[in-house]
Amino acid sequence: MKNRADYVIIGGGVSGCSIAYNLAKNGAKNIVVIEKKYICGGSTGACGAGVRMQWGTEMNCKLSKFSIDYYENAAQALDYADGIEFKQKGYLLIAATNSEFDQFKKNVVVQKACGIPSRIVSKEEAKELAPHLNTDMIVGGAFCEKDGFLNPFKTTDAFYRAAKRLGVEFYPYTQVTGITVENGRIKGVDTTQGYIECPVVVNCAGGFSADIAKMAGVTIPVKRERHQILVTEPVTPVQPAMIMGFKLNIYIQQSLHGSFIMGRNNLNEATDGRVTSTWQFLDEMSKTVDTLLPLISKLRVIRQWAGLYAMTPNRQPIYDKAQEVEGMYLACGFSGHGFMFGPVTGVAMADMILGLTPTIDVAPLGLSQFSDKSTLVIEPAVV
Amino acid sequence: MRIEEHPILTFERGKELTFYLDGEEMKGYEGETIQAAIHANKVKLLGYSSELKRPRGFYCAIGNCSSCMMTVDGVANVKTCTTLLKEGMRVETQKDKGVLR
Repeated sequence: MKNRADYVIIGGGVSGCSIAYNLAKNGAKNIVVIEKKYICGGSTGACGAGVRMQWGTEMNCKLSKFSIDYYENAAQALDYADGIEFKQKGYLLIAATNSEFDQFKKNVVVQKACGIPSRIVSKEEAKELAPHLNTDMIVGGAFCEKDGFLNPFKTTDAFYRAAKRLGVEFYPYTQVTGITVENGRIKGVDTTQGYIECPVVVNCAGGFSADIAKMAGVTIPVKRERHQILVTEPVTPVQPAMIMGFKLNIYIQQSLHGSFIMGRNNLNEATDGRVTSTWQFLDEMSKTVDTLLPLISKLRVIRQWAGLYAMTPNRQPIYDKAQEVEGMYLACGFSGHGFMFGPVTGVAMADMILGLTPTIDVAPLGLSQFSDKSTLVIEPAVV
Repeated sequence: MRIEEHPILTFERGKELTFYLDGEEMKGYEGETIQAAIHANKVKLLGYSSELKRPRGFYCAIGNCSSCMMTVDGVANVKTCTTLLKEGMRVETQKDKGVLR
C-alpha cells in the first residue's frame, strides 16, 4: 500500500469510482480509492438499478439528465466492451391521489424547463403502458420514455477499470479508521492496512459518510436509513417500464433477466447501518403488489436484500468542501439516488477539486443549501 | 418405469388418471406427482434452460432445483416434482422462462 497520495477517495461505489476516473482523466496523479468491502460492495451494489429524470427539484432534474445523457454512451466513453446494459424503457410514475397528481403536474413543468421529455398521462394511458396495473388505485400518472435501468455492477466496473488504466490505485477490504487533521488541514488517513499521508480526502462513503466526516471533526446533515428490496423468479417480459408510486410506496421493475425487482420505504427503518432483511418488509411489499399488480403477486420471491440511503434534509446530494477543515471534499447524501447521479458526481467533483471551470453548476448543492430551513427546496419524488 | 415390487415399501396406487403432455394423452395414478407420472411415461426432456437453451431433465425431485418447471393448465413455472397429478391436467414443456398469465 502507498504511504503517500495526493487524493484519497473513501468509498468504492459508483461515486468513488467515477470521481477517481474523472480526476485521473483531468491529469491528476497519485489517486487512491479505499473501500471497506469490495468495489461496488455497498449501496451501489444494493440499489434498484433504475435511473430517472422525473424529479421535482431543478437541481435533481439537471443532475439526472446529465447522468442519463452520459450513460447513453458510457460503455464507449469508458471503453467497456461488456456494455452496461442500459435500457431506456421509461418510468411510469403513478399518483394515488389528486394532490399527488397535482405534484406530478408541477414536477413535469420543472422537468420540461430542463429539457426532459416527460409528460402527464391519464389513467387510461397508464393502463396502456402497463396493462397489468390496477388503475382503480390511481388517478393518473407521469411518464418519461428516456428513463430506464442499467447494471450497477457493470457500470461501476466500467468506471473502476477506466480509472485503473489511468493509474488510480484501489484498496478494497480496507477500512478507514481515522483521519489526521493538523492546523485545520487534512494530513492523512489511517486505515486497517496502514497510514496514507494525503492533503485531500474525498468523502463518498454513502451510508457511512457522516461517520467519515466526523473522524475529521466535520458535521454533515446526512442520516442513513436502511431500504429493502426483493427479487422474484424470472418470467418472459411483461412490464417494460419501471412503475413507481410515492403515496402507494412502491417501485417495481422487471429486469432484463426477467425477474421483478421491487422496493418500498418504511419510516421506522433501521438507522444503525445494518443491511439485514426483515419479514415485515416482505409482508408489506407483498400486500402492495397483491392489490396494485395482482398478476405479479403470483410469482415466487427468490431473495431479499437491503442497502443504505444516505438522506439529507431536502433529499438532494451534497457536493462541497467541508467548512471545518481544509482538504475534505464531500460527495454524499444522495438520498437513495447515488447510482443515478454517478456520472455527474464524478465530473462535478473533479472540476471542484482541481479548480477547473465547472462543466455543470452544482453550487446550489453546497452545504449552504441547508443553512436556512425556510428556503429549503425539498425533493418531493422519493421512495 | 414404476417400481412394482419393493422389499420394504408397498405402493397403494390411486385410481388411474388421464393427463396430457404437450397434447399427447398419458396415464398416471392419483396420489403421484406430475413428474412421477411423466417419468413413468418414459419422458425425460422437461424443458430447456433459459440462457443456453440446453435440455433439462428430472433432477432433485424435492422442489428445490427448478429443473422440472413446466406450464401446467396455463400456469408457468410449476414445480412438477412436488405438484400432485389431477385428472385432465394439461402439462406443457417450457422453452423459455414461462409466461405470466
